[in-house]
Amino acid sequence: MKGEPQELKLTVNGKVYELKVRPKTLLNDVLRKDLKLTGTKRGCLESTCGVCTVILDGKAVRSCSILAVQANGHDITTIEGLAKGDKLHPIQEAFVNHGAIECGFCIPGRVMMAKALLDENPNPTREEVRLAMQGVLCADSGYVKQIEAVEIAAEKMRGGE
Amino acid sequence: MKDFEYFAPKTVEESLSLLSQYKGEAKIIAGGQSMLVVMRQGLLAPEYVIDIKGITALDYLTYDEREGLRIGALTTHRAIEKSPIIQKHFRVLSEMETNLATIQTRNWGTIGGNLCHGDPAGDPASVLIALNAKLKLKSLSKERIVEMEEFSMDLLEVNLEPDEMLVEIQVPVPRTHTGIAHEKLMVMQGDAGIVGTAVSIALKPGDGVCEDARIVLSNAASVPLRAIEAEKRLIGKVINDTLLDEAGQIASAGADPPSDVHGSTEYRKEMIKVFVRRAAIKALERAKKG
Amino acid sequence: MAEKRQMKAKASVVLKEVGDSTPREEYSILGKPIPRVDARLKVTGEAKYAADIEVADMLWGAIKRSPYPHARILNIDTSKAERLPGVKAVITGKDFSGFKWGWSRETRDEEPLASTKVRYLYEGVAAVAAIDEDIAQEACDLIEVEYKPLPGVFDPFEAMKEGASLVHEDRPGNICVEYHWNFGDVKKAFAESYLVREDTFQTPRMAKGYIEPPAIVVYWPDSNHLVVQAAKGSPYFPYRILSNCFNLPLSNVRIIQPFIGSDFGGTKNDMVNGDFSSAMLAKKSGKPVKIVYTQFDELTTCLRRHPMWVTIKTGVTKDGLLKAIQTKVISDGGAYTRMSPLSNFLTGICMALPYKLPNFKTDVCCYFTNNPSSAAMRGHGLYHTRFAGDVQMDMIAEELGIDPVEMRLRNAIENPKPGKIYETINKLHLATCGVKEGIEKAAEAIRWEEKKKVERVRGNKAYGIGFACGTYLSGTKLSGHNACAAMVRICEDGSVNYITGATDVGQGSDTVTCAMVAEVLGIGLEDIDIKRVDTAHTPVDPGTYGSRVTVLAGEAAINAAKDAKRMLLEVAAKEFGVKPEEMDIKNKKAFVKTHPEMNMPWARLVRMACYTNPGMVIIGRGQSSRGISTYGLADFTTGVGDIGTNYSFTAQAQEVEVDLETGVVKCTDNSVIAHDCGFPLNPPAVDTQVVGGAYHPGVGAALYCEFKMDKGLTLNPNLVDYKLPRAYEAPMTKVIHVITNDPFGPFGAKEASEGSTCTAAPAVINAIHDATGVWIKDLPAKPEKVFWALKEKREKEKK
Repeated sequence: MKGEPQELKLTVNGKVYELKVRPKTLLNDVLRKDLKLTGTKRGCLESTCGVCTVILDGKAVRSCSILAVQANGHDITTIEGLAKGDKLHPIQEAFVNHGAIECGFCIPGRVMMAKALLDENPNPTREEVRLAMQGVLCADSGYVKQIEAVEIAAEKMRGGE
Repeated sequence: MKDFEYFAPKTVEESLSLLSQYKGEAKIIAGGQSMLVVMRQGLLAPEYVIDIKGITALDYLTYDEREGLRIGALTTHRAIEKSPIIQKHFRVLSEMETNLATIQTRNWGTIGGNLCHGDPAGDPASVLIALNAKLKLKSLSKERIVEMEEFSMDLLEVNLEPDEMLVEIQVPVPRTHTGIAHEKLMVMQGDAGIVGTAVSIALKPGDGVCEDARIVLSNAASVPLRAIEAEKRLIGKVINDTLLDEAGQIASAGADPPSDVHGSTEYRKEMIKVFVRRAAIKALERAKKG
Repeated sequence: MAEKRQMKAKASVVLKEVGDSTPREEYSILGKPIPRVDARLKVTGEAKYAADIEVADMLWGAIKRSPYPHARILNIDTSKAERLPGVKAVITGKDFSGFKWGWSRETRDEEPLASTKVRYLYEGVAAVAAIDEDIAQEACDLIEVEYKPLPGVFDPFEAMKEGASLVHEDRPGNICVEYHWNFGDVKKAFAESYLVREDTFQTPRMAKGYIEPPAIVVYWPDSNHLVVQAAKGSPYFPYRILSNCFNLPLSNVRIIQPFIGSDFGGTKNDMVNGDFSSAMLAKKSGKPVKIVYTQFDELTTCLRRHPMWVTIKTGVTKDGLLKAIQTKVISDGGAYTRMSPLSNFLTGICMALPYKLPNFKTDVCCYFTNNPSSAAMRGHGLYHTRFAGDVQMDMIAEELGIDPVEMRLRNAIENPKPGKIYETINKLHLATCGVKEGIEKAAEAIRWEEKKKVERVRGNKAYGIGFACGTYLSGTKLSGHNACAAMVRICEDGSVNYITGATDVGQGSDTVTCAMVAEVLGIGLEDIDIKRVDTAHTPVDPGTYGSRVTVLAGEAAINAAKDAKRMLLEVAAKEFGVKPEEMDIKNKKAFVKTHPEMNMPWARLVRMACYTNPGMVIIGRGQSSRGISTYGLADFTTGVGDIGTNYSFTAQAQEVEVDLETGVVKCTDNSVIAHDCGFPLNPPAVDTQVVGGAYHPGVGAALYCEFKMDKGLTLNPNLVDYKLPRAYEAPMTKVIHVITNDPFGPFGAKEASEGSTCTAAPAVINAIHDATGVWIKDLPAKPEKVFWALKEKREKEKK
């Protein structure tokens, strides 16, 4: 039947959710509206800005460009899943301490992008950091401090200073 | 976006069954990185959507020294980009993927989905044509192999029957002393090329004469365009700068690129000359190395 | 006849010291890296932006938009929409009973939803509230509107033609606003000039570029009270406008600010169809209504930077000293007046900065067209003429054989000696001007002396370096509503509430004003709490625009903190038997200045103060009226008078790489900006703002951003075809701080980074010229444009 709600079982930030969604529902809407995880932002809705970026099975994806039903059975991490209680993830800490956050709207998507990068490649070159940051638009920072923050986080995560 | 009836088959047979049942009114969605954009814009509103993303059997990448590469249609761009097999034996595919959109798109979007979308500005089609690839298409009743260069029919139209599905991309082992390169004109990293070129050059070992050349243009026509006349200029000769220039001119003259906010037809024609040369020089260098 | 802003210029000149007299090196907090107070909430995803807000029983709204850029509305039939299950309210323009609004009282020409005529493509004519977004959209599609299309005008040149179709029937010639100013005698000066040059430059039609689209949630707790949570940079505009629209006293209109995803000057400190619609739909349905725009809505209907055509004529002496500048500016204001009077005024008001200029004449005319409205954007007004001026300066330098850095050094205004004021021909007053030091430092940092000798062409690429200098007004002075106030409440445990109406849209103003309060009180930044702006509780403040928050809201914060401190010191002084002025508070200790061993901890002092007079509430109040006083207001008609409390200065050096075969231009990492913001209160925040100000709106304009239009239709309304600057291409710019300690700013501060939005475009264009010898006078310098210019140059050289 057209629009018939489909069963959806998702693991988000380690927690299993079972719900029913209409097939055309975007993953972004399920996260924000159904699961109330508004940390992931809703931006352009046309697959260009990247503020909706989350991690799915360890890979960074645009949640506005995936039907929720396609995420069925998959493992998703959003910005809310990074900090452990009061303790921020090293990437979050680096962004805060290095002054890389301004209006903050692109930050959740950007931090998830950085996490996906560093989980896969703990010692990225600057070029690789730039390539990762290319997927999330910012409107105000000039990207410099953000690129540097990712590098600082990478070093910390590798056990450096 | 309009509502639709949704199916998530687990096997190829199941999908082909559904396609056969709803042919014409059904659309297959793989990664959806091209399709969702047009669906959200209201340009596409299928009654039935067959989601094949979950068919793990179509997600594979194998290599055989004689048979060459076999890529399952649901292999993601990112998997191709990062595959050690690809990087070793078909590096040009990895290079092309590195420049394709952004990492998020490549993580979920599939090579099959990209090819079936049929965008003449797309990079994979042109590179696969240069590689002399073939596509395996399947329906319930039959299976056929189509040359990559015969797959695109028109803007966003491909050689797929309503009950057919792309299942595999087959890339033969290039002969020795073949070099392949892909270059495209980007303003920003990850842009669709204002124009793009994939060039394959095969040299005769010893005297360095060009035995075969393939020059494929993207965003230069309504389909990925093989510049056959330009290829002829190179074949049978020892390639030099003059010949490269001439090949570029001929390729440009035979192209009919669009005019849009990124560039006029005239500018694209000029750029075709530049990029045919750039890709050819790189291909030639690689061919010489063996 | 177009109405103009009239303001009286005051004659008095007053010098006043603001802020502490503590030497800079002894500051506890200011002048050092200050972590942003809201960074943690943002990085964990806890910070709520307007689109994240959900209220019980909420409906979703959608807007019905016109398919014509110019048309009469003949009839609207909403019956089918009303009958759709799930629809709770439908409204049209008529629901607003003829209400019109505008940025100022004299320019109220826009309706919340068009009722008789639409003037730009996709202008809203009706709206629906329903139980979900899909139904709301479907209902919109069911609304039937009958239009009579009208001929339109789509650029100023069409608009100005005799007999052209009128966008507003009562505005002949489609003139939105015009200014004609004259200082000195340009004709005579040109006649006496060694060289006179005239060139025309063009700046592109641009989007603001923020990534968060407009969003709003509105509810009526009862029929007389309105609550709004919206992405607004200046809540006090919707506060007043909605009060007028719904005939509510201001006391009953409550705007609560969520976090804001950037603003940049227009749309978010102004109103959109969605704002009025959600309010009216909420009223009609009796339920909260939320409307969230998409980027498509933003890119097709929201405010844009004016495209401007600047013809500039400059006369110089043999040594390259400016004798006169005459500008003619034509701009496209779009369908409604909005902020165009201010935007166009700003094109000329600072023309006599940053270089000495003895004669200046300008004629500015802004036209209505059937395009989306134009309004403020970072670098507001100044960037267009600064671009023209600084590129032409290089053209002149080349003709005269003068090095471009030398040219700027010769013309730059000298930093006035302490106590002295520099006055421009149009009576702007500078106590500080760091542009000369800036250009020297920028040139040195980029190693100009060495690099200018290097061969520009390497293979198929060419490299060049370009310079530009700029200024920006700081602490905008406009009129009464630019005054602002603050309160500092000391809680009995020593924690502090800092209450302000100023809005941080990401520039870090919350952090820096909290830091000022902490610095004045002598306690830690962590002791200060700042809440989201809520017009029910926070004092009026026009919000973020005009580079005013740090300077003006800062001054109010300082005064409020001083007031609270005074009350505390009165109590402390009594305790120690001294006069209050003999005491101070530092490092959370109140102490007698001459006998610091006589001290008491902050917490104890506060408790003592609160309990000595039981129930004593320590609330310090402060205000800033710098926005309207000191030198008096600028006169829009004549162009005379200070528009800023003080002025920042910037000098930029940028290297580019030009692909000679394709015309693609890239900024390299050789990028330096020397910025005089008086005193950088939070240096890392200044750095990011300066770098980002140069890159996004500046380099964006120079290389990437441009709306292409076809009779009112935006041809590239998405972020792939309208290119926003991205990370891969971003230069790793170094910022050099030029410290001038301005006496008019709090702790010596002036605005930061609007200046760099004005220098980036000319620096890039000058760099392209340095690399290749071609001048690109109409932005952006897209590859195709550069390619043809290079080709033309090669062909010319062959002859």
